[in-house]
Order: sequence, then structure tokens, then C-alpha cells
Amino acid sequence: MILSLVFFTFSFIFYLITALVYIANWFVKKKWLGQIATTMAFVTLFSTTMVLIMRAGESGHAPFSNLFESMVLFVWAVNIGYLLMEYRYKFKSLGAVIMLLEFLAMLSASMLPYRFKSVEPLNPALQNKWHFMVNFLEKFGLEKYAIGWLDFHVFCTFIGYAAFAISFGLAITYLVKNKYEVKGKTNYLLDRFPDSKMLDELSYIAIAWGFPFLTLGIVTGAIWANEAWGRPWSWDPKETWSAITWLIYASYLHARVTRGWRGRRAAWLAVLGFLAIIFLYWGVSFILPGLHAYA
Amino acid sequence: MAKAKENKALHQKIGSGIWKFFSSLKLTITVLILLAFVSIIGTVVEQNQPLENYLMAYGEGWTKFIVYAKINNMYYTWWYNGLILTLCLNIIVCTFERFPTKWKSLLKHKPSKFDATTIERFSNKRTVKLNAGFEETREHVEKLLKKSRYKTLKFKSEKDEDFIYGWRGVIGRFGSDITHVSLLLILFGAIIGGFYGYKDFKVVYTGDTIRVPDVDYHLRLDKFWMEYYDTGQIKQYNSLLTVVEDGKDVLTKQIWVNEPLDYKGVRFYQSTWGNAWNRVKSANIAMIGKDSEELYSVTDIEWQVLTPIPNTEYNVKLIGFAADFAYDEASNQVFSKSAEPENPAIQIEVYRGERLISSPWIFVNYPGIFPAIPDSDEDIVFGGYMGVLYSGLSLNKDPGVNIVWLGCSIMITGFFLTFFIYHRRLWVHVRKVEGGTEVSLGGLINKSNFVFEREIENIAKKLQGDNKK
Repeated sequence: MILSLVFFTFSFIFYLITALVYIANWFVKKKWLGQIATTMAFVTLFSTTMVLIMRAGESGHAPFSNLFESMVLFVWAVNIGYLLMEYRYKFKSLGAVIMLLEFLAMLSASMLPYRFKSVEPLNPALQNKWHFMVNFLEKFGLEKYAIGWLDFHVFCTFIGYAAFAISFGLAITYLVKNKYEVKGKTNYLLDRFPDSKMLDELSYIAIAWGFPFLTLGIVTGAIWANEAWGRPWSWDPKETWSAITWLIYASYLHARVTRGWRGRRAAWLAVLGFLAIIFLYWGVSFILPGLHAYA
Repeated sequence: MAKAKENKALHQKIGSGIWKFFSSLKLTITVLILLAFVSIIGTVVEQNQPLENYLMAYGEGWTKFIVYAKINNMYYTWWYNGLILTLCLNIIVCTFERFPTKWKSLLKHKPSKFDATTIERFSNKRTVKLNAGFEETREHVEKLLKKSRYKTLKFKSEKDEDFIYGWRGVIGRFGSDITHVSLLLILFGAIIGGFYGYKDFKVVYTGDTIRVPDVDYHLRLDKFWMEYYDTGQIKQYNSLLTVVEDGKDVLTKQIWVNEPLDYKGVRFYQSTWGNAWNRVKSANIAMIGKDSEELYSVTDIEWQVLTPIPNTEYNVKLIGFAADFAYDEASNQVFSKSAEPENPAIQIEVYRGERLISSPWIFVNYPGIFPAIPDSDEDIVFGGYMGVLYSGLSLNKDPGVNIVWLGCSIMITGFFLTFFIYHRRLWVHVRKVEGGTEVSLGGLINKSNFVFEREIENIAKKLQGDNKK
């Protein structure tokens, strides 16, 4: 039995519960509901962390070498990002949106065929480790746990994806709420969200975190590619799509400071950016051929 | 005379029109979105494929268009790079347009006007009334600002009234400029690499020495081997390389995928491996009588080694191999149609004693179609062989790559400054009122109003809180 998959099943159930509690808290504001929601978010975070730890133990390498593992990493990062946001800005109503996204992500990960979930040894190109770390860990006989540019690349990329997922949730909420605000209409549920100006700002902050991490992900990916294949950039579909998302978010950042583009248009760019991320992440792996076929 | 003046005016007009065009942020957004959009095309239409593939996938009309617009090698076309160039010009013009004024205004910290009404105009503001004395409060305010890492400047001091200006995180305002310049640097590095670097690929066999372009040394492959997991999957493949300079071995290094050899600006990568199609390690041959089926004198012969066949008067030497035998009549040459062992054949030299009598090709699948020994009752058959693995090495010289990495680090630094260091300016008005002192504070932040709102609130709270103690 693969223990990580057991924890995955638990996490899956926990995310469903967490999402439901956050949604309940959104409908009826009760202090105790909010407290349960946040507690559940921590429980799921712990459970998701366990999936990653177990996975690392089972495979003997950093737990993000295939689509399934990276999905867990993604969900984990969104969870942390959301909890940080909740701690700092105290808007629990947004948990309903983000946790729903989390649940959908878990659902799609669970629907992956089994061959994506099994533990695989690393192929030659994926074995990239920092020498200094190998040398250091060798003293303790732990050299197989050394990491390298590749792990760093995946990790940064997924922090970026997670931040973009949060900004996507916020941008959608913004667009809906703003539409009603402009018409002068409102309703109880929308009132529970922060005002649209705040949503816009939170969405920006999420992108302000995501963009440097995506860039760092692309750069470290290029460093790795330069070591594995002898060229930092080769217009492989995955690389090109990462550049496409980078360009979309760059245009978002410029739109936000340009008259006539800030507000709704910028929010649409944030939505478009995340759709591009989804394609970069799933679409490219399944539809387009290329070097990243394994993840 | 008048006409020349008009012309000049026209030139200036056109010039400033172009300048204006390239200094627009709307152009930036348009080009970024356009670049994103056209880049998609290159991922859908596979790049650098043979023409037949496009014909098969898209039909004749579209293939003509693809070739005409060079969509089959899209990222290197003039129009794609034209878009990138537009972005670069946009960056350069915007930097020239905005940077000097920004630099001046940010270094000159003293705001032009500061009086009692200034603070009222800010949306982030707070006024608190304290019981403490004026002097004490003023010192307290300055201490608090220092503690919140503000640099302060006393704008003007009057009797019973003080105007203090504080600021923090000016450097964050330059993050965007740093990022923009870094992007130019990255592109510059890429161009340098494109002009002065090269990429090459070599199939190398153990013991071979290869010439390296542009440099004064050779490279020898001493050994090539594979490693496997217990499950049989390939774990890693390795080459032991030796650099030979002036006939002397100067450096030996084991390389594998992800671990290249770097010597005098050229990097050698383990890029692939494969079964040789034009040589073998050894072959298994045997003698056969013309009228019998029986094999005798079975023997293994090594590549290029003259070997006697036991109990006969013949010596043979293995000189050629083709994994998938084919013969080109025009050039009278034997070659291998593919790398797969579809029709393996070897060429041997047959010597009777020391005299070369023939050099036939013999086949595993078709024994006896070309008799190996002329005018004899005996023949030689080819039973099997031990293959040789080759090491596929990529050679790469890229003098621009370090500029690219430098650009990348600067870009990340620029992002850090842009996104995480907020430029805050705070105006504080302290004045004596009846029964105590009144402090008004308000100001501006370039990003994240929320953070600033909270900071002003905190400062106000601390002023009051500390005052109560």
C-alpha cells in the first residue's frame, strides 16, 4: 500500500469539508463557523503536507516529479497562500472561493489515471543536483535527498501557479461584485465579500507574488535546461507557453497603471492569465508534444 | 529658406510623433498581448518539421502560407523579432522619457509646499489629540517615524507648530526601471550567443578523438557506459572524456546527463546514446561446406583485428558493418538505411595465408548469397555480433549565456524592489492646541493602500497608547 495515496484520499475528503464549511460561513456569518473553517484549513494543510512527505520517502526524491505529485504541491501552496492572506487581511468569505478551487484541483488530480500516481524512478534528465549539497549530505549518508535546479525550478513555478490561482479566484469575485456595484445593485452574499477596490488590490498582491516566482521558475528552468541539454531556451511548447503566461501577466501589471485599462480590463487579464496557466500545466502535457511530456 | 524651416518643423513633428508612439504604455500592453497571442501559433504548428509533415497535416494551401510566413520557424522570423524589437524600443523610449524626472523628484525629498491644509487632501490620514506637551510630542513623533524606518526631514519649524516630512522605500520606485533594463540585457546576451556561439552534435565511439571547432584542443572518449535501475529502466548514461592539448592529456572528466564538461568556453553535454549502425565490437562467423549444412570452425572475430580461422588456411579481418544494409548503385557505396538492425551485414577481408583473396559482405539473414571465398567448396557465414554503443555529445559555445544569467538576476532583484518595497511619504503636522498637542498625519504610497492605512493607524495608536502610559 502506498501511504501517500491514503493521505491523498484523506486530503481529498478534508478539502471537500473545508470548502463546505467556508461556504456555510459565507452564507451565515457565525463566529464558530469561521473558526471551524480555519481549523479545517489547517487540518487539510497538515494532511497535504503528509502526502508530500510520504511521497518523498517512497520515491527517494523531491515529491514533484510528475503531474500528480505537482498537483498536490500546487494545492499545498494555494492552501498556505490562502491562510497567509486570511491571517493578514481577515476576509474569511474569500475562503469559500479559494477552497472551492482547491477542491476542484484535488478532484482533477484524483481523476488522473493510475500511471500518473505511481512512484517512478527519475529518468536521466531529471537527475539534477547541486554539488555542494550532495557533498554536504554525503557526510551523513543522506546524499539521495540532495536537491538541485530542477527541484527549485518546479517549486518556484508552483508557488507562482498557486499565487495566480488565488488571484484568479479574486479577479472572478471582483468582476462579479463590480458588475453589481456599477449597476448600483447588491445582495447579501456579495456584501459579504470585501469591496471591489479591495478585491482588485488583493488580486494584484497575489500576482505581485506570483510573477517573480514564475520568473524565477522560468529562469531556474533555463539554468537546468542549459545543464541538461546545452541550451537555456529552445522554444519547446512548455517553454513557449510559460513565456505566454509571463507576457499576459506582464501586460496585467502594465494595464493596472494605464488609464482605460485598470479595473475590469486588468481583471480580465488576470483571468486570462490563469487560463493560460491551466493550459501551460495540463494542456501542454496532454495535447502538445515536447520535452516536458512527463510533468 | 522658409521651406527648409517648414521641412525641419515637419521632421520634428514626425520625430516627436514617433517618439510619442514609442513612449506609450498602451503600446506596451498591445505588444505584450500580441506577442503572447502569436507565440501560441508556434506551439500549435510544430516547428522545423520536414515539408511533408505540413502537407499531410494542413494541406497544400495552408502549407504554402506556412512556408511564406515562415511559421515553420516562427520564433526566428523578422516579424516575430520585430515585435520584440518594438518592445525594446518602447522600453528604451519610456526609460528616457520617465526616468530623469523620476530620479530628480525622488532624490529631492523636500516637498514643494507643506502647510496645514496639505494633509487634508490625502485619502489616508489621521488626526489625534494628545495631552502631552508640544516638545515632548514632537520628539515622540520623530522617534516613532525613525522606528518605523522612515527618513525624516523637518520641513519648517515655527513656534508651537512643526511640519515634519518622512519617506521610506524610495528605491522601490526604481524596481521597474531595473527590470526593464535587465530585459534588454537578457536579449543582448541572447544576441551575443547567437552571433558568436555555436551548437554542434557528434556521434562518438569509445577511443575516438574528435576535433572541436574554433579551439586548439581535441577531445577523446575513453569510455561510455549505462546504468540501470533494478526495474530495468535507464538510470543514467556516462562518458569519460579526456581533453587533448598539443598531444598531451590535460584533463579527464566523467560527464552524464545534467553534468557537462566545461573547457575553455566550450561545454560538452551527454545528450543521447544509441547502438552503432556502422560498426560492431565483434562478430561470430563459421565455416560451412558447400554441400552440407554443418558448421565448423566457429569463431569470434574482433573489429579490425586479423584473426585466423581455426583448422583452416584462412585469416579474416572484420572491416565493415551495416545494421540495415543498403547499396547505392550510383556511388557504389554500402550504407545503413536506418539505425535499426533490420538487415545486419558485415564486411570481412579474407586472406589465404597472407594473401588477400576477397572482401565480401555477408548477411545474417541471407547466408551464401555472395560466396566469401572464390573458387572453393567452403564458405563463411555470419552468425551474430556484439554491438557497440555510441555516445551522443552536444557541443555548445555560448559567450552570451553569462550576460543572460546576469540579466536574470537583475530582473529578480528588480521584481523584489518593485513588488515588495513600497514607496511611502508621510506628512506630519504637530501643533499646540488648548489642553495638549494635536498631531495630523497623512500621506501617499505608490502601492497597496491597505498596508499604508494600517501603518498610519498603527502610528496614531502608538502615539496615543504610549501617551497614556
